[in-house]
Amino acid sequence: MSTTTTAMLSPGSPKAARPRNRALTRFRRHRLAVFGFSAIIVLVLATIVGPWFIPFDQLHIDLRYRFAPPPAGGHLFGTDQLGRDLLVRLLMAGRISLTIGFAAMLVSTAIGVLVGVTAGYYGKAIGIVLMRFVDAVLCFPSIFLLLVLAAFVHPNVLTLTLIIAATSWMEVARVVESQIRTLRERDFTKAAEMLGASGRYVMFNELLRNAVGPIIVAATLTVARAILMEAYVSFLGYGIQAPTASWENMLNNAQQYLGSAPWLAIFPGLMITLAVTSFNFVGDGLRDALDARFDLA
Amino acid sequence: MANFLISRLVQSLILFVLVSMIGFAVLHLAPGGPLSRFALVPGLSQADIARIGHEMGLDRPLPVQYWEWLSRLLVGDWGQSFRDSQPVLAVIGSRLPATLELMIAAILIAIVTGIAIGIMGAVRRYSIFDMLATVGAMIALSIPTFWFGLVTIYIFAVKLQWLPAGNRATIGGSGALLDYLHHLIAPALVLALVEVAVWSRYMRSSMLDVINQDYIRTARAKGLPERTVLLRHAFRNALLPMITLAGLELPNLLGGALVAETVFTWPGMGRLFLDSLGYRDYPVVMGILMFSAMLVLLGNLLADLLCAVADPRIRLT
Amino acid sequence: MTEHSKDKTGLRGTSILNPSRRQLLALGASAGILTWLGPQRGWVDLANAATPPTKPTGQVIVGLSQEPTVFHPLLVHIEVDEAVYFNLFSALWRVDPKGAFQPDLVAEIPTVENGGISTDGLNWHLKLKDNVKWHDGTPFTADDVKFNIELIQNPKFIAGRRAGHELVRDIKVLSPTELTWRMEKAYAPYPAILSWTFLVPKHVLEKETDINKPAFTTSPVGTGPFKWVERVPGDHITLAAHDGYHGEGPYVETLFVKYIPDLTVLYTQFQTGDIDYIGLQGITPDHYDEAKGLADRTVMPVPQPFIENIAVNTGLSVFKDKAVREALYYGMDKKSIIEQIYYGLPSETESFLPKQSWAYNPDLPKHQFDPEKAKKILDDAGWAPGSDGVRVKQGVRLEFINSTTAGNHVREQAQQLLQQNWADIGAKMNINNLPPAVMWGDYWMQSKFESAMVGIGFMIGPDPDATDFFSSRSIGAKGGSGQNTTQFQNVDVDGFLAEGAKTVDLDKRKIAYKKMQEVTRTELPYLPIFQYAMVSGVKSKLQGFTPNVNVQENCWNANTWYWAS
Repeated sequence: MSTTTTAMLSPGSPKAARPRNRALTRFRRHRLAVFGFSAIIVLVLATIVGPWFIPFDQLHIDLRYRFAPPPAGGHLFGTDQLGRDLLVRLLMAGRISLTIGFAAMLVSTAIGVLVGVTAGYYGKAIGIVLMRFVDAVLCFPSIFLLLVLAAFVHPNVLTLTLIIAATSWMEVARVVESQIRTLRERDFTKAAEMLGASGRYVMFNELLRNAVGPIIVAATLTVARAILMEAYVSFLGYGIQAPTASWENMLNNAQQYLGSAPWLAIFPGLMITLAVTSFNFVGDGLRDALDARFDLA
Repeated sequence: MANFLISRLVQSLILFVLVSMIGFAVLHLAPGGPLSRFALVPGLSQADIARIGHEMGLDRPLPVQYWEWLSRLLVGDWGQSFRDSQPVLAVIGSRLPATLELMIAAILIAIVTGIAIGIMGAVRRYSIFDMLATVGAMIALSIPTFWFGLVTIYIFAVKLQWLPAGNRATIGGSGALLDYLHHLIAPALVLALVEVAVWSRYMRSSMLDVINQDYIRTARAKGLPERTVLLRHAFRNALLPMITLAGLELPNLLGGALVAETVFTWPGMGRLFLDSLGYRDYPVVMGILMFSAMLVLLGNLLADLLCAVADPRIRLT
Repeated sequence: MTEHSKDKTGLRGTSILNPSRRQLLALGASAGILTWLGPQRGWVDLANAATPPTKPTGQVIVGLSQEPTVFHPLLVHIEVDEAVYFNLFSALWRVDPKGAFQPDLVAEIPTVENGGISTDGLNWHLKLKDNVKWHDGTPFTADDVKFNIELIQNPKFIAGRRAGHELVRDIKVLSPTELTWRMEKAYAPYPAILSWTFLVPKHVLEKETDINKPAFTTSPVGTGPFKWVERVPGDHITLAAHDGYHGEGPYVETLFVKYIPDLTVLYTQFQTGDIDYIGLQGITPDHYDEAKGLADRTVMPVPQPFIENIAVNTGLSVFKDKAVREALYYGMDKKSIIEQIYYGLPSETESFLPKQSWAYNPDLPKHQFDPEKAKKILDDAGWAPGSDGVRVKQGVRLEFINSTTAGNHVREQAQQLLQQNWADIGAKMNINNLPPAVMWGDYWMQSKFESAMVGIGFMIGPDPDATDFFSSRSIGAKGGSGQNTTQFQNVDVDGFLAEGAKTVDLDKRKIAYKKMQEVTRTELPYLPIFQYAMVSGVKSKLQGFTPNVNVQENCWNANTWYWAS
């Protein structure tokens, strides 16, 4: 349920600094959100820096050491079905998965905001056409979009980002549109219009700033969703191509070794769950923090 | 109201046609086609395969194929499957009950459990229960469904042997209700997992919204027992937004059912969709697409209507 | 759907004129000592053996990873559909695991000796059994045979296979159990083709208005050991014992054909006992070890006629140079692929023909894994390493894409090993795996791929005539009608193919095909890796199961299966 920000405080007023601080405090009180945020930082750092410290190359195949359980032979997390070190692959995979997650979030949020703000502000014909277009895209099962679009292109980080973004922007657009539609009727908007502000100014400087809360929440949740989408796509066979690792294609390739080499599946599974959970916690915390009603409580 | 209804119906119809056009084009233009499955069949030459393509009408220009398909659709002929030549409607109809069974079971579990957890979490905010429920919900939302399903099968079917490894019923079995239920447990639970999480989070949030309203405070001030306050006043009002949510969650549920159906070998529409898409069985894929589009459009319409009816303050675009 | 269904040609056997010598199958370690009790009874675990029951009892559940959807055996269909055909329908005769023909609908196999076939191979005289009834009680007659062949010949009918049938002329029905016909020309593979031509009832199908979409397919009628009960789409097909069956058995009351799309789940259901026989696709090599150890299960690797190879598009500039193909072959660590990644199950080969074929050439030069030699060949041919290690010659980089059907985990591992092998010699391979519908569409047929890792059955039927794959007139991308997707063009090979096809003298054909294999081994349009072995599994108590390399589906003798008590 999206939260509505009350327009008690309009942008540009001298009290603008304080709600942000209050929001920050509320966020910090939300322990799970803090945990999530820290986890994300740790993951990002680990995936960026980690591989430099590990003596194994993620691509090096050595069939003599297949399926080595952790911590045999210096492989902290064991080796996979081709004898490659699991830990370094896990970290390199993290780069791919997190990149796709963030990038898909940025793209889908950008598109969603654009469509939502335009539809919400102008309303009437433009609004109807745009929102019905959103409805039309929502009619397609996301699996259809994923599979068909994936058939057209070679799956790599860029194309997967775009494909996943193409299935996620609609939610953002909806949230934004309903927000803007409400805010449009507020006094501050009418005031700005009366003062002669152009449509674009009003849209982006007045309305959007107030709607930022739900957008941030939606964006955070989109990262989580993007990572899960990639898992879905990998399961169906269209994920990142070998030998590049992503958490999702590692998990998918490990499913048949559940009995014989469970660590192959447990670690990527844990990473995915940890990352997605963290983003969800952060999103939850932001939602609580940016909910200005609690200013009253 | 009538104007609203008519205008939305017209819009939905236009959308329906638009969706059909985009879907048809995208599907037919995607690389690969229904003839690929004959590629290495012994004794079939390229000329034979081309002839089969001609029989299927695949070498005609796309707009012609589309127009023929659409005009047949409007009179109720949804075409025939490229694979087993059965009428598409019959094919979809034969798979629908399985998916419905799964989805309804999952929804029931999700609603009952989700709402209960959500209310408890809202009422006892920041308590241990709330913490656990929140963390649990988050984790549930973060596990890839196929993974969860496979682990479930591994633990409960292979190791413990408590539950069957898939399918709707025991083949050659008695067809007893108990057998069906036994097979339904695992897939329904796996499918419901995500839904429970979503519903509990939204219910909690919605309850919180409502609980802080003035009229609740009034009810308490009136001396009404807490239970009445919660159930009669808060709950009913908190339930309202859930209706919209139900409409929005439906496509997600359908998507989740698809994964559950693959992992648990459930003969439903999701599995049919995947198989047909894999074989490029265009008539069946388009049939399911249209079916799902109808569901989504109808669901949206209903949700908007219900909200408009329930809350006259909501402006109708 | 997987690429596996496209690879198989399935049939390997003999012509009536010359039975072959075949080695018997190698069996993996199994629960008991299996004894061969002849083509009908198959392999029986004598320790557990019981005699078949007098009345059909029990049920057998067959698990397949693809779904049979076409139930008219003469219509175009895919491999998995044959699992049902073997049990619903009969053919004139069958091929047993040793490659010999066994009568099915005929009273005796027509040969030159008994006058069934004229000495020139053109005039045929068939004598049919007189006790065969269709599932609906109508007697089977020679009119049915005539109807079937004429249906296949009907240009409006979308026949699955026409080869051979189109040469039949002047079918005369002499009596309900006798008929004759004349062949346009002698065609050695025809008897084998007839062994997998399942017959459909004239009295039912002649009433149909649309011969390509008959109502017959919703409840087919045949003369096989099992009759149609029902189909639950997407789930299973139920067949019941036909007590008027003209052959041996059936000993099982109900036969279920179950569809399980996910390979891991397929194996799981075999483990838990939800299925009794794991069919198409079988058990993946990485589960073989575990499967061997399962209690009450008999697991055996079965050689198959498919050759796993790297198909190389010689139309691409980087592959035009024979030195590149040679070097790539020297740079392949075949041994590791076969022994490590495939757990030693398949067998290494240098030829495109399976070892069991009479035309197989065992004297081809053996592969050596020699990266140094590979590098030297490339150096000598002018492929110098560039700044990033990838070799270049006249502006063309030694870089190419390798594709296969997505979803085959074991094969993907082999791909990645090859990627590393070839990186070591300065060749850059990029992996781009595709879904089957895309892989086998124009991408393959019109030679738009760069290189592919595929398993191909090069023979057509039992016959080693691989014109489709090697003739310069079979290049689809150049307007030809065959499967020469590597765009291989070699005058000598064209000559050998023509020689082999025009004579029925086995020795002459053998010479031609042996020479041909020498050329393809040198030219390497396909880099051969191994000959397949599928791991099939069955519950140990199930007697009578016999793998058969000569047929497409191993449910071929389900009429002889029964449960040991």
